[in-house]
Amino acid sequence: MVLARVKGTVVSTHKPDSLAGLRLLLLEKVDAVSLKGKGDYVVGIDSVGANAGEIVFYVTGSSARMTDATKGKPSDATIIAIVDVIEKDGVVTYDAAAGGFGKAAEGGGTSG
Amino acid sequence: MNLARVRGTVVASRRADKVDGAKWLLVEDCDQKGAGRGEYLVALDMVGADRGQLVLLAQGSSCRWTYRTDDRPMDTLVVAIVEEIDQAGTMVYRQE
Repeated sequence: MVLARVKGTVVSTHKPDSLAGLRLLLLEKVDAVSLKGKGDYVVGIDSVGANAGEIVFYVTGSSARMTDATKGKPSDATIIAIVDVIEKDGVVTYDAAAGGFGKAAEGGGTSG
Repeated sequence: MNLARVRGTVVASRRADKVDGAKWLLVEDCDQKGAGRGEYLVALDMVGADRGQLVLLAQGSSCRWTYRTDDRPMDTLVVAIVEEIDQAGTMVYRQE
């Protein structure tokens, strides 16, 4: 599973009927230690109700079809969890309850 | 399967993975000697791996071939804890 920050939404009306009603979110992969964006973006289908600014992780490939929201649907990147805390080597690098800023996450840019 | 080092844990209460008692590990991609590459992934722990241990990752659809992850949206699992790696007759990694 890959860590990413929700940066926005993607709107599309011309798509398969099976994708109707699903939210497409713009995700930027982040470094797990600094929580800074890598400038590498993917579009993921939301199965957990993630909002802009939140750190999430997503699954790719055929596993992306295994959530209730995406079963049998043409998704290859699905957000499966909203991250509360990331701990590395005993240090909290990200804490959503503390506004997203862990010790090493300064400048990570939680907006909205 | 790729080698990785357990660096920490990830906590997530709002989830769609449907895995009971899931424990998420923050793992760093490693070379065959156990040196980190600075690339991190979140992996579901299947073996009780601890911080600092070198582990084997199963990735992709193969992750769903366990009883706990059957039909679950999983693409990275910790499936083994590495004790030794022999490269061309030389022990390049040994668990401490």
